[in-house]
Amino acid sequence: MPRRGWVTAASRAVTVLGVVALVGVLPWLSGRSPELSILRARSAEQEATPEALAAIRAELGLDAGPLGLLGHWLSGLARGDLGTSWISGGPVGPGLVEALGVSVTLMGAALLVALGTAALLCWPPLRRGGRGRTGGAVGAALTALPEFLLASVLLLVGAVWLGWFQPYGWTGPSSVVLPALAMGLPAGGLIGRLVADGLTVTATEHWVSTWQVAGASAGQLSRALVRRTLPALTTQVALVLVGLTGGAVAVEQVFAVPGLGRAVLGAAEAQDLPTLQAGMLLLLGVSAVFGGLAALTRALLLGRAMRSGSVPVPARATPSRRRDWLLPAGAAGLLALVAAAGLGRDPFTSAHPRLAAPSAALPFGADASGRDLLARVAHGAVQTVGTATLVVLATLVVGVLVGLAPRASVGPVEVANAAPPVIVGVLVAAALGTSQAGAALAVSLVAWAPIAAYVAAASDEVRRQRHVTVLPVLGVGPATVTWRYVVPAVLPAAARNAVLRLPGIALALAALGFLGLGATSPTPEWGLLLAEGMPYVERAPWAVLAPTGALVAASVLAVSLSGLSRRPRRPAAPAGLPVRAAAPSPEQPAGVG
Amino acid sequence: MSRPVESPVLTATGIVRGHQLPRRRPWGPRDVIAALRGVDLQVAPGERVGLVGTSGSGKSTLLRCLLGLESPGRGTVTFAGRPVRPGSTASLRWYRRLVQYVPQDPAGSLDPRATVRELVTVPLRHLQVPGDHAAAVTTALTRVGLDPDLAGRRPGELSGGQAQRVALARALAPEPALLLADEPVSGLDLPVRDQVVEVLADLSARQGLGLVLVSHDLAVVARLCDRTVVLADGLVVEEGPTADLLTRPAHPRTRELLAAVPALPA
Repeated sequence: MPRRGWVTAASRAVTVLGVVALVGVLPWLSGRSPELSILRARSAEQEATPEALAAIRAELGLDAGPLGLLGHWLSGLARGDLGTSWISGGPVGPGLVEALGVSVTLMGAALLVALGTAALLCWPPLRRGGRGRTGGAVGAALTALPEFLLASVLLLVGAVWLGWFQPYGWTGPSSVVLPALAMGLPAGGLIGRLVADGLTVTATEHWVSTWQVAGASAGQLSRALVRRTLPALTTQVALVLVGLTGGAVAVEQVFAVPGLGRAVLGAAEAQDLPTLQAGMLLLLGVSAVFGGLAALTRALLLGRAMRSGSVPVPARATPSRRRDWLLPAGAAGLLALVAAAGLGRDPFTSAHPRLAAPSAALPFGADASGRDLLARVAHGAVQTVGTATLVVLATLVVGVLVGLAPRASVGPVEVANAAPPVIVGVLVAAALGTSQAGAALAVSLVAWAPIAAYVAAASDEVRRQRHVTVLPVLGVGPATVTWRYVVPAVLPAAARNAVLRLPGIALALAALGFLGLGATSPTPEWGLLLAEGMPYVERAPWAVLAPTGALVAASVLAVSLSGLSRRPRRPAAPAGLPVRAAAPSPEQPAGVG
Repeated sequence: MSRPVESPVLTATGIVRGHQLPRRRPWGPRDVIAALRGVDLQVAPGERVGLVGTSGSGKSTLLRCLLGLESPGRGTVTFAGRPVRPGSTASLRWYRRLVQYVPQDPAGSLDPRATVRELVTVPLRHLQVPGDHAAAVTTALTRVGLDPDLAGRRPGELSGGQAQRVALARALAPEPALLLADEPVSGLDLPVRDQVVEVLADLSARQGLGLVLVSHDLAVVARLCDRTVVLADGLVVEEGPTADLLTRPAHPRTRELLAAVPALPA
């Protein structure tokens, strides 16, 4: 046991150090030469002599190779020097610390919104003593919209049409409201749905009826239900909170809030890598604080029971019903219809009047360049689904391979699970430049983790089955056990799990496209379509509505499918089946960030 | 009390094995409970030994040490003079051919996706047993009283008793000299239990197969075993010929075990 614990701890430490080192060597990875722009920023008169440029390179440690660069950066950090901007030539620290303050304020407000939303969603099942099914419709609807989309819709409704709030900037309490709602509502919807589902499942456990027979009051029972349900969910709730950092990038960008997320995004676009590095470090710190708080909460709630590794996770007992398939089937059918209608049309030629209103000839209208929006949305569907399919295949292969080494892969899985795709997208864009392939790489870099966590938990379970534990005595070696017995048993469910995540992956790709970290114009990519339409939202709402509609359909598909994937196909296992609490849950929410 | 065994083939000497408990406090020391506190065991060729004791007496841990699946903290296990300890698959192949194992819930130890033929072939192939494997499968199935025509079925298509016999046939296929069985009949219906017990009795009587039977069911031990070893709290507290031990138990722990049996069949 101690040796296994050592492997897990080493895996975590190596991963965190690896991520920090990766951020540290970004300038080397990107292979850019910033000395000329720094020289120009510092003084307009100085000649760009080779000596002057070499002096700047030496000062930045750029010629020292990756290790020297890392050492230079880390020693700077130790002195409290976050680096020198490649654009302005000044120190990046003060501006970023100010931005951190803005972001933390915004995240705090979003957290309040999220907790309030979650409490509202959990109230009905608690009042019923956990009996009956959770409707979950409100929760699903709230969760359905990714932050960048909800932010755009809120901006449209709250600031442009109603005029209640400021559309842009950070000037007072009123400018906090819309961004906090955009970040807090999806997070709260997700947390509320998780907890409400958990409460319903817990209520079916045997001890509940024992308590009721013993005359426990409704209040006592509610408290016990919450206390039993929450520990199993703290990890997932922590992931949702860490996901707020990714949401911050998108939301701050839409509302032009001068926070850390926007600073990082701007730095990635401007290739100002020192600002990006320092911003990333601060964001990682915020994530670490969220993760640490969740671990602390869990330890306080569970105490010694956690260390014995035998806390049963409430087993989900809700059977899948046929009408659960109606919503995803409807959304998929709608998308297929749009794709079929528009695939024959030309998405690239500016053959129509600019921003033409929808008509019989142009069902979705035209965009600012006079291109057919129906054609662009339809081609975008194919483009997005195609890319997402490739990402799904890649994540399945990587997830299965990594998941087979559960203890050694703990660190990478935890970090990749917690890393919002948007943040990874910023890093990839900084290192490799923006492209659709870069966006696919960024999403793949995080999307394998839930599959790996699932494979780790499932293969652990398979390895404990009696027909597998007996194999060593029959002379079957460990490699044969893995490839002939464990992988075939785990693969079908892992593949199903991966395919159900396809819409969520498509949304993550769209988010990157929206933020300018993915496909570039004129590619008909949904996120990019939305971003292109935003400036004309008042004059031509259809330029925004067409891609929004497609994204909402994809979101509904993502959320309803993720709900289905969490239900066991076979008759429910007995409640309180002793699954190791430490095993990462396969039920990571799809489409966060 | 303890009777010397002539030329033992399987010997365990001074086996000590502990299990670690979770920490009481995150920074506290780990408690260790002793599962085995110095156990000696000898099995002669063809001998049938019952290993009895209540839950937590260390029976299963001892069996795992004997199988070379767990390494004893102290002490040694040898078979015919060769040491047996956990190691690579190849390093234990010789031992697995000679000593086979029937797990608890034998039917559950069958891969539900494989046919009976595939299941029984597994040890033949992986232990690199020479000879015609198809014929060996037929022989093994016949030895446990199963129709070889069942070879094409899967575990889901067998009755409980048939599945238990398939697990037995799988253990017997490499023609071992000794069978270690961990509660092979616990949790079975009485008729099925009796079938399996009869098959085991028949095999050991007619073919000289040695048997180490772990059980808390004294009726089964009485039917199958020449000699019985009583484990309590990680120590051998009593051992002797089964008939003597069951009729004149000397140790209080043995008497407790006997008292727990409602009525011993004659």
